[in-house]
Amino acid sequence: MSTTRHHINRERRRQSRDTRPAAFPEQQPKQLKEPKQQRQQRQQKQSEQPGPPEPTAPRTRTHATAVRSRPARTAVSAPDTPRGRTTDGTPPAAGHRTALALLCALTLLLGGFAGWAHARAGALRDDPALRNTALTDLARTSEIKGQAAKAVDRLFSYDHTDPGALRKATGDLLTGKAVAQHRALLADVRKRADAQKAVITTKVTDSAVERIDGDRARVLVYADQSSVSTSGTRGKQDEGVYAGAMLAVDVVLRDGRWLVSGIDTFGR
Amino acid sequence: MPRAPRVLAGKRPRPLTALSLTLALVAAGFAAWAGEDWYAAAHDDRAAYAAQRDEALAAGEQAVQNLNTLDHRDLDRGLDLWESSTTGELREQLASGRERFAEQVKAAKTVTTARVLSGAVTELDDRAGRARVLVALRVTVKAPDGAKTEKDSRMLGELTRSKSRWRLSALGQAPVGGASAG
Repeated sequence: MSTTRHHINRERRRQSRDTRPAAFPEQQPKQLKEPKQQRQQRQQKQSEQPGPPEPTAPRTRTHATAVRSRPARTAVSAPDTPRGRTTDGTPPAAGHRTALALLCALTLLLGGFAGWAHARAGALRDDPALRNTALTDLARTSEIKGQAAKAVDRLFSYDHTDPGALRKATGDLLTGKAVAQHRALLADVRKRADAQKAVITTKVTDSAVERIDGDRARVLVYADQSSVSTSGTRGKQDEGVYAGAMLAVDVVLRDGRWLVSGIDTFGR
Repeated sequence: MPRAPRVLAGKRPRPLTALSLTLALVAAGFAAWAGEDWYAAAHDDRAAYAAQRDEALAAGEQAVQNLNTLDHRDLDRGLDLWESSTTGELREQLASGRERFAEQVKAAKTVTTARVLSGAVTELDDRAGRARVLVALRVTVKAPDGAKTEKDSRMLGELTRSKSRWRLSALGQAPVGGASAG
């Protein structure tokens, strides 16, 4: 687009130079945007071979070569300026400058608005409330809730007759620092359960997703723990001890599954 | 031939004008795009829902904390705060039991403080103005002899929005042992 316009302008400049040498000499350097050398080269090239169609814009080129005929020129340069001014006697340069100033002001105004609106939209999107998709993304929220609850059930249940189940759960469901946290939390429990031949069962009763940020989330979990001892000293089947627990687990999405990456027992 | 140069001058090309016009058009394009983007961001339904969720949670956590905070030396302020944090049936219950409760706390001379450990919204009905929250709470009771006891509470709260403010309309502890709250 601009090359065509440049070309047209160049043609006109040459023309006016032919008819009126040194017409508006003060305006010429202002209007010429491209480097002088390049311009001269191109002008030479054009004078040698008038209008060889460039491969990029052959159609506009034909327009440009027709520039010498007046109707074509006005048609091509229609959006240029409020040219009508010249007919009612106003000096063309003055009208031109006003138009330019107006356009510049308009450009600045529009550009300013664009920048401001973009910043506002960015600020709105960057709102931490919106970045947290807990409940706003219902499908993901319930998926996380379900998987976290199942993970807590498995990770905090222990049957002394089947220690392999817990080992499998830790391998399947834990990642990162949660591995060490879980080991520390369960060490005592396992020892006691082995000694008392107890079965510890954990069941999540309530849970809620605090926050989802992409592939990370935090879930608050209430769970009931029951410990049923089967050792002879306390009778064949213990009544069972119930305790309420609350903890928060950090989960992270790995290969389509949410793994526990952190366990927060609130300092207990 | 006085007109000829004039006309020619008038029809002279104005590359600078063309350039600034192009720039103005480009700027207009950007402005339109950015404006539309801004409008879309400002009228995002999820944003309004997320804002309600966070408001409900903040109000719920604060209310649960308020209801677990009471200083026997400043009973009236504490109990007023209880009432302003609640609505509906819970508020009526608190108001009707206020006198009796104040007597008990005055006699026991306890100072109860609470700290929210964690909280989350389980359900939110944005239109009806109802929400359910889980709030993990650590309550510290200081007896007159200076002895402190700490207890963790697993609170389940229900919030109702009235006059664009979320208030607690029900509060209880998650039951322990078999009888699951569901």
